Amino acid sequence: MEPFFQLEDVTKTFKTDRGPYVAVDGVSLDIERGEIVSLIGHSGCGKSTVLSMMAGLQDATSGTLKLQGRPIKGPGPDRALVFQNYSLLPWMTVWDNIFEAVDSVMTDLSRAEKRDHVGHFLQMVGLWEHRFKRPSQISGGMKQRVAVARAFAVHPSVLLLDEPFGALDALTRVALQEELVKLWSLDDKTETVVLVTHDIEEAILLSDRIAVMTNGPSARIGEVVDVPLSRPRHEREIIAEPAYREVHDRLWYLLTEAYRAVA
Amino acid sequence: MLRISAVRFPASVGRPTATARPSIDVEMLRHAQVIGSAVFYTAVGLLVLAAIWQVASLIAGKDLPNPIATLAVFGQLLANPFYDKGPNDKGIGLQLVSSLGRVGAGFALASALAIPVGFLMGANATSRKILYPIVQIMRPVSPLAWFPIGLAAFQSAGTATIFVIFMTSIWPTLINTAFGVMSLPDDHRNVARVFRFSRLKYVTKVLLPYSMPHILTGLRLSMGVAWMVIVAGEMLAGGTGIGFFVWDSWNALSLEKVLSAILIIGGVGLILDRAFEWAGQRFSYGS
Repeated sequence: MEPFFQLEDVTKTFKTDRGPYVAVDGVSLDIERGEIVSLIGHSGCGKSTVLSMMAGLQDATSGTLKLQGRPIKGPGPDRALVFQNYSLLPWMTVWDNIFEAVDSVMTDLSRAEKRDHVGHFLQMVGLWEHRFKRPSQISGGMKQRVAVARAFAVHPSVLLLDEPFGALDALTRVALQEELVKLWSLDDKTETVVLVTHDIEEAILLSDRIAVMTNGPSARIGEVVDVPLSRPRHEREIIAEPAYREVHDRLWYLLTEAYRAVA
Repeated sequence: MLRISAVRFPASVGRPTATARPSIDVEMLRHAQVIGSAVFYTAVGLLVLAAIWQVASLIAGKDLPNPIATLAVFGQLLANPFYDKGPNDKGIGLQLVSSLGRVGAGFALASALAIPVGFLMGANATSRKILYPIVQIMRPVSPLAWFPIGLAAFQSAGTATIFVIFMTSIWPTLINTAFGVMSLPDDHRNVARVFRFSRLKYVTKVLLPYSMPHILTGLRLSMGVAWMVIVAGEMLAGGTGIGFFVWDSWNALSLEKVLSAILIIGGVGLILDRAFEWAGQRFSYGS
């Protein structure tokens, strides 16, 4: 059977003033339905470029990306993206930010149904009371909650997250990580998640598999590490498990020894 | 889910409620203090200006009227602003109204052209490449240079003045609108792409609200220049208007009237500028 989301020999070359720059060279990855997969690597290794190609915001120079057998052509709500910097529209309220997305995507719903739908997801992320505020009036963690709610609300078949919690403080980050997994396990429409991160602990906590990228230029996937930890996982509990140590050590070795940053 | 809510102290702990949420009286008092001090400093500034003026007029002698004499004339002008005794003798209010009418007409026509063309230039690289050189050539031209063209085209000094204001008001609005549209961050555009906003939704919910503060800045600058140019334009055109009034007063050797007109021009300019600033604040957004 064909994989759910398939990346085959994907290469991305950027034109620069000093000639072509091969950012990503021959990335292949099969993602199954229902998985959470992380792409981890040093900053600048091209992991965000890979995600951006999966989202359809950038085209691959060569190679193919297929979702459920169909080649990716341009962005679309079946691959809702949670951006690194939240990307809420600052002139709209929290409510409108989600509503406008729902309104564009879920064209078969009536206006009242759309409203119920938005309300449901606002309550899921605990922001109902803040629905009339603008993004400038809420905290970074709340903004990212809105972005996550907006992405889940359009029922994507894959949820793509680009270093979603990187800008948040440690406590807020943990809260949001757990909330993401909760939403993922409760939501029966969105089963597959691809996450870009440079945080080893975050990758282990969230993922079923972790694809470790080598350093750019010409970055590729060096190794895919399985995370044999049962769910639900809690940060404090899994740290004590031997499997956690093993995965952590392996990732640590890959990122600090095998594909060491050229810092 | 982890939620950190503000810790609430029970009343018995004795946290004064005024610090947590100032009562309306306290807020109003603070507001009044802010306004009061602004009025105070403005008054100090005006007094300093009047003092310099007084000294200057003592040195200049009869050639420069002093503040008191000017204020007396200023009072007379304001006492009966709308009298109309034929084409060469109208109240200051009527002159202002005719100037504002010309500025309004030229400015409105210019905005109606500049905003759509600015959108086109901002959104489309080809039209930008074609139009930008034209803008660069036209923009540095003194608007008064268009006056003869206006006269030739419209055979009327009044309409030619409106044409001058039109040519003046185009550029700041055009350039700021184009810049605003062009500077739309990729992130905002990508939101529209990922969630498949329709063309209409993209323009009304993303592009327009994002560019609105830039457009309003352009309009504010355009209005500022238009209000400066109208005085010179009406000096050339004659007939009516605050610019004509200044020139006419000079010919009648009444510097008191000229100085009064300058005060009025400044005051009206300030009001226009503040109106656009207020509008700009209404459309601004945090990030």
